[in-house]
Amino acid sequence: MKVNTKFIKEVKKYGAFDISACFNCGNCTAVCPLSAEDVSFPRKMIRYAQVGAEKEIEASLEPWMCYYCGECSDTCPRQAYPGEFMMSLRRYLISKYDVTGISAFFYKFPWVQNLLTIAIFAVSLIFFLSYTGDFQELAEKIEMAFPAYVTLAIIAYVFMFYKKTIMDKAGKMLISFDFKNIWETLIHGLTQKNFSSCSDTDWTRWIAHLLVMSGYTLTLIISNLHLLEPLRIHYGLFDISTLLVFYATFAILAGGFVMMFRRVVKQVQSSSFSHSTDWLFVVMLFLIGLSTFATHTANMALGPDSDTVSILYKFNIAVEMAWIVIVVPFTKWIHIFFRPMAIYLRNLKKEKQLV
Amino acid sequence: MSKENQKEENAVNESYRQKPKVAVYVCHCGGNISDVIDVKRVAAELSKYPNVAISREYAFMCSSTGQDFVVDDIKNNGINRVVIAACSPFLHELTFRGALNRAGLNPYLYEHVNIREQSSWVHKNDKEGATLKAISLVKAGVEKILRQDPLNSIRVEALHSVAVIGAGIAGLRAALSCAENGLDVTIIEKSDSIGGNLRRSGNIYPTGEKASSIPENLSKKVLSMKNVKIYTQAEISFVGGYVGNFQLNVKKSDGNFEKVKAGAIIVATGFNHYIPHEGEYGWKKSTFVLTLPQFNELLEQSAGSEIEIEGKKIKSVAFMHCVGSRQIDGIDKPGKNGKVNDYCSRICCTAIIHSANRLKEKFPYVDVFDIYTDMRTYGMHHEKYYKDASKNDVIFFRRPLEERPVVEIGSDSIKIKTKDVLTMNEEMEIEADVLVLGTGIVPNDISDLVEYLKLPRGSDSFLQEVHPKLRPVEVSNNGIFIAGTAQGPMDVMETLQAANTAAVKAAALLSSPDIPLDPFVAVVDEDKCTGCGLCLAECSYSGALTMMEKEVNGKKKKVAVVNPALCKGCGACVAVCEPRAINVAGWTLDQFDAMVEAIAKE
Repeated sequence: MKVNTKFIKEVKKYGAFDISACFNCGNCTAVCPLSAEDVSFPRKMIRYAQVGAEKEIEASLEPWMCYYCGECSDTCPRQAYPGEFMMSLRRYLISKYDVTGISAFFYKFPWVQNLLTIAIFAVSLIFFLSYTGDFQELAEKIEMAFPAYVTLAIIAYVFMFYKKTIMDKAGKMLISFDFKNIWETLIHGLTQKNFSSCSDTDWTRWIAHLLVMSGYTLTLIISNLHLLEPLRIHYGLFDISTLLVFYATFAILAGGFVMMFRRVVKQVQSSSFSHSTDWLFVVMLFLIGLSTFATHTANMALGPDSDTVSILYKFNIAVEMAWIVIVVPFTKWIHIFFRPMAIYLRNLKKEKQLV
Repeated sequence: MSKENQKEENAVNESYRQKPKVAVYVCHCGGNISDVIDVKRVAAELSKYPNVAISREYAFMCSSTGQDFVVDDIKNNGINRVVIAACSPFLHELTFRGALNRAGLNPYLYEHVNIREQSSWVHKNDKEGATLKAISLVKAGVEKILRQDPLNSIRVEALHSVAVIGAGIAGLRAALSCAENGLDVTIIEKSDSIGGNLRRSGNIYPTGEKASSIPENLSKKVLSMKNVKIYTQAEISFVGGYVGNFQLNVKKSDGNFEKVKAGAIIVATGFNHYIPHEGEYGWKKSTFVLTLPQFNELLEQSAGSEIEIEGKKIKSVAFMHCVGSRQIDGIDKPGKNGKVNDYCSRICCTAIIHSANRLKEKFPYVDVFDIYTDMRTYGMHHEKYYKDASKNDVIFFRRPLEERPVVEIGSDSIKIKTKDVLTMNEEMEIEADVLVLGTGIVPNDISDLVEYLKLPRGSDSFLQEVHPKLRPVEVSNNGIFIAGTAQGPMDVMETLQAANTAAVKAAALLSSPDIPLDPFVAVVDEDKCTGCGLCLAECSYSGALTMMEKEVNGKKKKVAVVNPALCKGCGACVAVCEPRAINVAGWTLDQFDAMVEAIAKE
């Protein structure tokens, strides 16, 4: 293996500021409840980074097995923050699996992503407010365009992830049809049950994650299938749409609030080092929840013809615009897919004995 | 003999002249002995033995309570001989001699029987056998002490001067401390100047000053002392005499000889940097392969924003630990003495890390690699260097002990291939502009001196002290002390500490007008001596035995005469003396006979 000193400098741009302090003792791996023989971390990953084993890192599933319990960082005798290093590796890998290269740019210059998000939101809002046609119709077109855009992004990421971790190693496509594997992947994806593997289960974090994920998925379905037409329909309290919106927005707001609060107070390792992209992610989610909720309750109270409802709805769609165009395909969002996929690929590797 | 000492010895009671009353104490050594040996049984058995008046067992005889038993039994129960069955006499013989002294009994009327190393530890699985063996050994001890005469230490006159061999920092420090204690000092240095290796060692840890400032500072002080004489380019051609009265023949730079007299000698002959064999890790195959001292010099001389060798900008440096240290027989090429250096040179790890940090601080653009075996940055706060090195982005590789990295000299860079424990034992390939060999420490060649002074050397050729903890810097030859890297690898602090220790020991030794020596030396029964001279041929300590015409019982006769200051009590003469005329005091043939008898009786 050729030693490459440039690699660690590159990884450090994604936040792993203190990782050079690591002297490879392995306490982190010993204490990690999620590390296993076939997916051993953080030590092995840190070492790969130190010697610049770029290929090995790009082919690793380990970063996605880590749920950032923070025990490694608490135990580290050199204060190298291995937990934060694993987080940084996830950022790095997202950049590597992003065919456009834009994620890497956003991670290194987060203010650009922030500015672009604000700009798209602002331009959209001004345009929507000055739009004289039937906005409900325009909103329908916009919302129907989202799935195509997002799906394209997901496919590109998933393919790159699969290529780097499986295809490049095996030299061919490998697929597992094992029902147990598919079932386990689904369960992990839906419940994120690895959160319970940390020796002290961080229930708040787990529940907040579940709330945000379920609420967000629901919002995604509602908006991307254009299920809401607040400028056309007057929703009642017991309509199915209302119930769905209430659950989704409550879940996002409650979960999002907890996440933001924890990133402010920094009491646990996992929320001690916030990258700008982490903030953008939770803040935007929170705004989506808030504006959807506000639009819907205003509709119920004032009816679809109210100017207030119209303004709130335009605000809501403008936030979604910025979110879908700038936040979703780049940086953090794709981890929602990578985590369950890593479980699937790990089982696949075991099944096909791909070492 | 000084009056005070005389008085002290006269005060010792004369109870040994009465009927022997032996006290036997069996020590448990906190389970070390009693877990295997039935100590109660040993004590009970001995209580029935002839001449034994008291027989006890106790958990820790060396504790103050244990010693108080001894003192109390001597003072109040009329005990006049003592046997203690316990650990090795190496550990506590002196402790109990002190107890006898306090009780007013001659300290040599005491026998230390080792039932720990010689019985309980080696017969763990045979408790019965170990107990019986202990009983035999203690009985032999009783028989021996019954035949023991009170002994008095031998006293020799002491010159108040010290000869220091070597003028490196150890020699200079020792000389300075001796001189400050009022002793006359002669420094004898082989090379043409004083200061030693440190004059050329760049910047050193832990205080980070220029290495040369230490010998410079010491030299200045030493030169200002009126009672210090320095011979440079001087060689020692012979050493005679004994503790308190040594004579060194010194060949001076002008070719003339000088006789230096000294009460004590401090040997501070120092070390040499290991010189790699040609081709060892690329040594001599490229100008970009340097030893650590060479690199340190380069680093100190380099200024500006870039470090260069022969005009080439250095972008990466690899440090290799354990070059010439921790070598393995069969893997590494042996040195001139036919041996490999299997010891750890101790200072290289910290020295390398210190240099790596300085390199990174001075030229942050340089990539630094560090190939180590075990990271041994021992010592107060030295771990910080290692930590700092990590934070300075030094990349570490740990090679397995038996693994020898392969160095390939390329046209543009040096390739180092090594197995790396830290990267899951994978074969790593490191490319660097410069390879720095962390060469170890080897002792200077002082074979002549070793012969003249009968200095003990370890298998690694370093001088060996009697016991690193119990008798540091002392050798078995009285009046000779060793200090500094002649003893083994040491850093500057340790060297100076050892030098001060040697100086203090020399000063303490020479502080009274005469020096007490162990009384275990050969004693001649002139009645029995036939003057055959066989003993003389066997004696390996020149001057210890001589044949002399003497008047014995009114008749003139040739007899063997012992110089107690030079005799080491080895007993070689005893073995060849047919008429049993010569004996070692405290270890007489009669005593041995009785001991063998006691053991064989069973």
